[in-house]
Amino acid sequence: MEYDHDVIIVGAGPSGATISRILAQEGLDVMVFDKRKELGEPVRCGEGLGAREIVAQGIDIPKQCISTDIHGAKVISPDGSEIVWKDKETTGWVLERKMFDKWLMEQAVHKGARVQSYTRVFDLVKNDGKISGVKVTHGGRDPYEVTAPLIISAEGMEASLARKAGFRALSTLYDVDTCYQYEMQEYDHENLIELYFGNEVSPRGYVWIFPKADKKANVGIGIGAHLETGEKEGGIKGATPKEYLDRFIENHNQLKKASRLQDFGGVISVGAPIDSFAKDNFMVVGTGARQVDPIHGGGIALAMESGVMAASTILRAHKAKDYSEEFLSEYEKTWREGPGKKVATRLLLRKVMESAKDDDFNYIFKTITDKDLNDVMAGKFAGPVAKVVAGRPQLMTLLKALVS
Amino acid sequence: MPIEINHSRCIQCIGCASVCPTGAIELDGLRMVFHPEKCISCGACAKACPANAIRFIPKEGAKQEQEK
Ligand SMILES: Cc1cc2nc3c(=O)[nH]c(=O)nc-3n(C[C@H](O)[C@H](O)[C@H](O)COP(=O)(O)OP(=O)(O)OC[C@H]3O[C@@H](n4cnc5c(N)ncnc54)[C@H](O)[C@@H]3O)c2cc1C
Ligand code: SF4
Ligand code: SF4
Repeated sequence: MEYDHDVIIVGAGPSGATISRILAQEGLDVMVFDKRKELGEPVRCGEGLGAREIVAQGIDIPKQCISTDIHGAKVISPDGSEIVWKDKETTGWVLERKMFDKWLMEQAVHKGARVQSYTRVFDLVKNDGKISGVKVTHGGRDPYEVTAPLIISAEGMEASLARKAGFRALSTLYDVDTCYQYEMQEYDHENLIELYFGNEVSPRGYVWIFPKADKKANVGIGIGAHLETGEKEGGIKGATPKEYLDRFIENHNQLKKASRLQDFGGVISVGAPIDSFAKDNFMVVGTGARQVDPIHGGGIALAMESGVMAASTILRAHKAKDYSEEFLSEYEKTWREGPGKKVATRLLLRKVMESAKDDDFNYIFKTITDKDLNDVMAGKFAGPVAKVVAGRPQLMTLLKALVS
Repeated sequence: MPIEINHSRCIQCIGCASVCPTGAIELDGLRMVFHPEKCISCGACAKACPANAIRFIPKEGAKQEQEK
């Protein structure tokens, strides 16, 4: 069969843009569809990005995509005590995500990839039961079919095409945090991201303040979507992040006087990646595959890293003209042995920490230092756990899963 | 109709679509659209919605929560 393209990519977010750049650079015919009217809009993101992974990928982000540099993090416990944590882990940027996503896709276009905005992919095309293309509509106009031997879902949280292809690309309420965020001004900051923990502040989640240029900041919250923290429309009980965020701002000396420039929200995955990333003629990459950090919900760097791994497998598949699940699973294997390990450790940490009471948080944050936080984030739990348990043995019940 | 979307509250965050087990809600261009024929009245969308923009009308006897 004659195909229209070598590869079709659904979604022009960080994962889709990364894959299409690499493939186009190697001379493949790449077509990208995104249903957004304007790439990058609307933003559903705190816009925080760690420098380490990006530098490792050799990407030089231009000035217009960066709102401000970040020199570290401040972690605040329920009783207000703080740990200031400056390390490779917490050095990075707060982006102008809209500019960043567009710029990243432009880099792919420079290399020869083609992208079409406001074009929704709504179904698969099959030939003899084999996936061989997609059905698209541009701005709701007459649908048409486009073919390729390989379809990539880089769709983000919705992942509707991946689901049509048979992947369980779906999150339970328990495995997502529901988030509300304002872009605010004016906020005096020290170029540190601020993370507030505690069940009163943000049950099974945290409040973040991500500083931006011109005394702006993204002030947001994520709480467990399965929690019944209040009454919702129609009288059912459910999660009420906006109410928590509004209360936090009301109680914050500086923020209560600040303006709100934008409302945004979303749900972030804090659960496990989906159980398979590849099938014959189809792959799932990035947040659609739930390749997200379960501790902080960050998914930009992981989406790009995964994009690099997927692209390398695709290049080999293209050469071998083999798009079988078996061949494409190489990408999955690389991912699970690399970033997948870190994600698994952080999932364990998230599950342990979600049982912590405010008093436990207070004690833990008073006892450990920024150096311990480095160890914890690197998955080296033994030292910090020993320190905490030495002073408060009863916390062993909570923390034992980390050291067993 | 098991759910109603209040479009003036909705911030198009796709939270509902990300947890709907049947794909009954999706972002079509600029708006969330609901496909009632696919809806199984589980209420997950309304529970997850950060903007409280979905009114859920429970159906007698329907399974009302996603499994944990
Ligand atoms: C409130 C909130 C705050 C967050 N904060 C951070 C943060 O501070 N730092 C961080 O690293 N991450 C953060 N994240 C997560 C981050 O935004 C995502 O993990 C990241 O965008 C994933 O990239 P992606 O390329 O996989 O998918 P996306 O960026 O979601 O891109 C998917 C693209 O696919 C398109 N698409 C989907 N379905 C179709 C279809 N059927 N047809 C055509 N196009 C389609 C979409 O329009 C979209 O452009 C946050 C998320 C939320 C909700
Ligand atoms: S009630 Fe359940 S099935 Fe119906 S739209 Fe909401 S999440 Fe989907
Ligand atoms: S979760 Fe609520 S605010 Fe978000 S898109 Fe759905 S209806 Fe709109």
